[in-house]
Amino acid sequence: MFKTTLAGLLAHKLRLLLTSLAITLGVGFIAGTFVLTDTIDAGFAQKFTADAQKISVAVLPNGDDADRRQEPILTTGDLAKVRGVKGVADAQGIVQGTAPLIGKNGKVAGSRATSGISILKGTLNRTAITEGAAPAAATEAVLDKDTAKTRQFTVGDTITVLDSKQVKHQFTLVGLFDVGVNQQLSFTGAVGFTTDTALRMTGAKGFREIDVRGGDGVSPEDLRASVAAALGSGYTVKTGTQLADDLASANNMDTEFIRMGLLLFGLIAMLVAALVIYNTFNILVAQRAREMALLRCIGATKKQIFGSILLESVVVGVLSSVLGLLIGLGLGAAALAVLGAVDAPIPTGTGVSLSSRTIVVGLLIGIIVTVAAALLPARAATRVAPIAALRSQVEESTFRAGVLRTVFGALFLLAGTGVTVLGVAQDPGQDALLIVMAGGCVFFLGVLIVAPMIVKPLGAFVGWLPRRLFGVPGKLAVDNSRRNPKRAATTTVALTIGVTLMSLISVITTTTRATVSEQLNEQFPVDYMIGTQQRDSTIPRAVAGELRSRPEFGSVITVRETEARIKGQSVNIGAFTVDPLFKVTPVKGSMKDFGPGTAAVTSWTAKELGVTVGDTVKAAGRDYRVVALLSDQSTPVYGVNLTERDFDAAFPRVMDKQILIKVKDGVAADTSRRIVEAVTDPYPTVLVESARETRGAFDEALDMITMIITGLLGLAVLISLLGIANTLSLSVHERTRESALLRALGLTRPQLRRMLSIEALVLGLIGALVGVALGVGFGWAATQTMVDDVIFRAPVLQILGFVALSGVAGVVAALLPARRAAKASIVGSLASS
Amino acid sequence: MTMTTDVRQALTARGLTKVYGQGDAAVHALRGVEVGFATGAFTAIMGPSGSGKSTLMHCLAGLDTVSAGEIHVGDVEITKLNDKQLTLLRRERIGFVFQAFNLLPTLTAEQNIRLPLEIAGRQADQVLFDRVIETVGLRERLGHRPTQLSGGQQQRVAVARALISKPQVIFADEPTGNLDSRSGAEVLSFLRRSVRELGQTIVMVTHDPVAASYADRVIFLRDGLLVTELHQPTAQTVLDTLLKLEA
Ligand SMILES: Nc1ncnc2c1ncn2[C@@H]1O[C@H](COP(=O)(O)OP(=O)(O)OP(=O)(O)O)[C@@H](O)[C@H]1O
Ligand SMILES: [Mg+2]
Repeated sequence: MFKTTLAGLLAHKLRLLLTSLAITLGVGFIAGTFVLTDTIDAGFAQKFTADAQKISVAVLPNGDDADRRQEPILTTGDLAKVRGVKGVADAQGIVQGTAPLIGKNGKVAGSRATSGISILKGTLNRTAITEGAAPAAATEAVLDKDTAKTRQFTVGDTITVLDSKQVKHQFTLVGLFDVGVNQQLSFTGAVGFTTDTALRMTGAKGFREIDVRGGDGVSPEDLRASVAAALGSGYTVKTGTQLADDLASANNMDTEFIRMGLLLFGLIAMLVAALVIYNTFNILVAQRAREMALLRCIGATKKQIFGSILLESVVVGVLSSVLGLLIGLGLGAAALAVLGAVDAPIPTGTGVSLSSRTIVVGLLIGIIVTVAAALLPARAATRVAPIAALRSQVEESTFRAGVLRTVFGALFLLAGTGVTVLGVAQDPGQDALLIVMAGGCVFFLGVLIVAPMIVKPLGAFVGWLPRRLFGVPGKLAVDNSRRNPKRAATTTVALTIGVTLMSLISVITTTTRATVSEQLNEQFPVDYMIGTQQRDSTIPRAVAGELRSRPEFGSVITVRETEARIKGQSVNIGAFTVDPLFKVTPVKGSMKDFGPGTAAVTSWTAKELGVTVGDTVKAAGRDYRVVALLSDQSTPVYGVNLTERDFDAAFPRVMDKQILIKVKDGVAADTSRRIVEAVTDPYPTVLVESARETRGAFDEALDMITMIITGLLGLAVLISLLGIANTLSLSVHERTRESALLRALGLTRPQLRRMLSIEALVLGLIGALVGVALGVGFGWAATQTMVDDVIFRAPVLQILGFVALSGVAGVVAALLPARRAAKASIVGSLASS
Repeated sequence: MTMTTDVRQALTARGLTKVYGQGDAAVHALRGVEVGFATGAFTAIMGPSGSGKSTLMHCLAGLDTVSAGEIHVGDVEITKLNDKQLTLLRRERIGFVFQAFNLLPTLTAEQNIRLPLEIAGRQADQVLFDRVIETVGLRERLGHRPTQLSGGQQQRVAVARALISKPQVIFADEPTGNLDSRSGAEVLSFLRRSVRELGQTIVMVTHDPVAASYADRVIFLRDGLLVTELHQPTAQTVLDTLLKLEA
C-alpha cells in the first residue's frame, strides 16, 4: 500500500509541486516572520550586551509613580553621591530632552522637535561617532547622520539650536553619530552636546540615567550593592548585564507586536492553503475512484484506503513544510537586507537566526494543516464501493442542494446579517466593531456553505460576456466552469478570502479619509494652518493679530486649548473664534444658544463625563451650561468648547495653539503664501502648512498602510491562484479525452488554450465578485462602528482593479495547464482512460 | 493493386509507413501501405489485434503524423500540412465516430451534433439537419444530455454529428465495439444508409465480421501491411478470410 501511494505521488510531480507550493508559501511566510523577528531580537541582545560591557552599574530613577506628569530624573546631587562611592572610577549622567535644530530655511527642522542628548566622555560613551569627533567644548555639537543628510549639514558647519526658552545658540558641528537602534532618536533626529551643554540646552533638571564604571578589580555586583546603599531607596540600580537584559526584553516586546501582526497574515494564508489542499485531495479522490474501487475489489480494507490518502497528505505536508522553512529563511534574510538598505533603526548586522522553535512551529503548522485538510477527502475515499470499478463511464458529478445545506446556509447567513445589523445599530466604538466582525465571520461561514449553490448562477452571470465574445471556446469554457459546483466553489472561495479582506481594507481607509479630511474640509475650508512643532510650545498672540490686520485674509481663526479637571477627570478644554465661515453642526442641541456661560461638548467627551444638553460642567471654578453636543470632527477643539471670552477669562495665560486661515477669493496663492511666511518668519518654532500639504501627508500615510496590508494579503491571493491552477490542471487531466475529441473535431490548439483560460477567468471573476461584495458590505458595516457621522466611500476604481486583477491572475494561473492540454497528442489522449 | 489518382477516390495513401519509438524499441506499425477509398463507398478495415488498423486510421484522418509516405484527402496532400492546417482540414472535410466517449457531457444531443459546425463557424444546412435527425430517429432526444441516452443512442448522435458537416470522409474506429448486437445493428444500418442515401464516404475499423458485412468492401491488414480485400462481403466470407490470416 505504501509503495502504491509513493509511486502514485512520484508519477505526478507537477501536481505534487503545485499542491505543495500552497503550503510551502504559507509556511515560508510564517517561518520568515520568526526568522526576521528572532534575528532582530538577537541583534538587539547582542548590541545591548556589547554596550553593557562598557558600564559596570547603571542607576535609574524609580519610575512607578503612576500619576507622574514629568519623567522621573536623577539630580546632580545623586551623581555626586555616586561619584563618592568607593570603587567608582567614573560616573556620568545621561541627558535627553528636546533641542530643536533650525534648518537652513530658518525654521525648526521637521515636524517634531529634534532631541538633544549628552555624549558621554571616555569609555562610558555608548553613542557611535561615525565621522569627526565627540563634542569636547561647550561650543561643539554633533548631529545624527540621517538628520545631517536631510538637512544638508556637514562636519565643520555652524548649526543653530533653540534652547528650552526658544533662544538661539550656535555650535560648530564637529562630528556625526549613528542613533543605532534607538527608535525615538531615529524618529525625531538628535543633536548631541557635552553633558553640561545638554543640561543647559534641553532645560533638563537632571539625568535619565547615571552610568558607572568601576575601578580595576571591583566586581559589578559589589559595586551595584555599594552604589545602591549610598543612594538609599527610590532608585533602581542594575549591573550593566542586568541593564542589557532588561533593554533587550523591552525591545522583544516590540518585536513581539510585529511578529503577531505578521503571523495573522500568515494564518490567513494557511487558511487559504488549507482550502487549496482540501480541494486538491477531493479531486484526486474523485479521479481515482475507480482505482480505489479496484483496490477494494482485490481486498484492500477501508482503513488501508484511508491510510493511503493520509499518507499521501503527510508526504505532501512534510515536503512542503521543509521547503517552506527554506523559503522562510530566504524571506527573512531578504527582509533584513531591505531593512538594512533603508537604514531602519534595527540591528541587521547579525547572521540570520533559525531557531529550533521556528523549525518546530513551521513543520507542525505545515503538516497539521495539510493532513487536516485531507481528512474529509480521505473519508470520502473510503465510501467508494468496490462495484464502482466495474462501471464503465465516469459519472458526471451532479450537485443537488441538499435540504441540510440550504437550511444551515440560510441559518448562518441570517445569523451573520442579524449580528452585523446589531453591531451597526450600536453606538460607535470597539464593542460595536467586534460585534460586526463576529457577524462577518458567521456570514462568511454561511457563504462557504451556500457557495456551491450560488456558483452556477454566478458563473452564468460572469460568463455572459465571454460566452458571446469568444465563440465555441467561450461557450464550452463557461459550461465547464459551472460543471462541478462544489469544486468551483472551493476553488473560488480561496480567492474570495483574499479579495474580501483587500476590499474591506480599501473601503475602510477610503471612508476614513473621506470622513476625516473631507468633513473637516467642508466645515473648515481653510487654506493655511499655522501650528508649532512641540506639544507645549505655543504661538504668540501677536501672530494672529498681525494676520488679522492683512486685507488678503477672509478669516483668521485662533484655536486655544488646555487641560482642565472636570468631574475628577483631566479633560481637553478650549475655544476657537466663531466665524460665519465655519458651520458647526451639533449632534444634539443648538449652537444658537452658544454664548457666555455656555459650553459645547464633543460627543466622546460628553459620554466620558456623563453630561448632555442642559447639564452643567464646572471648570476652573465656574459653571457652564452645556447647550450642544458636537460630533468629534466638527470642531477644531476636541473636548469642551467655551466662547473665546470665557476661555480667556478662565485661562488668561494660554496662547494660541493653532491658527486657521482662509484666504479671500481672488488672492493669488503665492501672494498669500508670501504674506503668511513673512508674518511667521520671526518665530522659528511657528510652522506654516498649507491645507493641501497636510491632506497630502495624511493621504500618504493612509496609502502606505493600505499598500502594506494589501501586499501582505497578496500572499493569500497568490496561494488561491495556485489553487485555481491546480484545480484547472486536475480538471484538464480529467477531461483529456474530451479535449482530444474537440481537437479531432477541429478545435485548434490556440482555441483549446483559450477555452481553459476563459474557464479560469470565469472562476477568478466569481471569486472576486463575491469577495468584493462581502468586502464592501462588511467594510460599510465596520465603518459605521467608527464614529457617528461617517461619510461612506467605496473606492470604485480600486475595487474594479481588484476584480480585473483577479480575472487576469486567473488567466495567468491557467497558462501552464492550458499549455499542457494543448500540447497533448490527440491519438494518445483518445486512447487514455 | 493499381493506384492511379482517380477523381473518384476520396482518399488515397501511398507507401504509408509508421514507426513508433527508436532503435531496439522501434515498432513498425505500418510498413508501406498502399490503399485508396472510393467516394461514396463504405469500407471496413480488419485484421488481427496489433496489425495496425487504428494506426492506419489515425494517419489517414490526420490525427497522427506518418514516418514516410503520402496521404491525399481529395486533392490535398495532408502529409505536408502543419498542425493548424490539419486542424482546419479535419474541421472542413473529416468526420469522426469513436468507440466510446464521443460526446461532450455538458452539451445536449443537439448541441453535440451542431458542435463541429459551430467550431467551424458554419451555418447548419437545415434541410440536411432535419434529414439526418429523421434518419437517426432521435428527434425526441435532441434536448437530452449524453448521460440520459443509451450507448446505442449516443453512438447514433455521434454518427449524426459526423454527417451534419458533410465531410469528405467519415472515420469510425470500432463504432459498435461497446454496443450489444441490436444497438450495433441499428448504428451500422444507419451508417450504410448514409452511404446509400447521402453519398457519404465511410472508413470503419472493426473486429466484428458481422459489422464488416455492412460494408461494400473489406480490406485486411497483417503486421502493418495490406494483405487482401473482399468486395460485397458477407459475415461468413469475412470470417473465413480472418481465420486464414491468423493461421
Ligand atoms: N503510441 C504507440 N507507441 C508504440 N507502439 C504503438 C503505439 N500505438 C500503437 N503501437 C503499436 O503499433 C502496432 C499497431 O497498433 P494499432 O493500435 O494500430 O493496432 P490495432 O490493429 O488497432 O489493434 P487492436 O485491434 O488491438 O486495436 C501494435 O504493435 C502496437 O503495439
Ligand atoms: Mg485499434
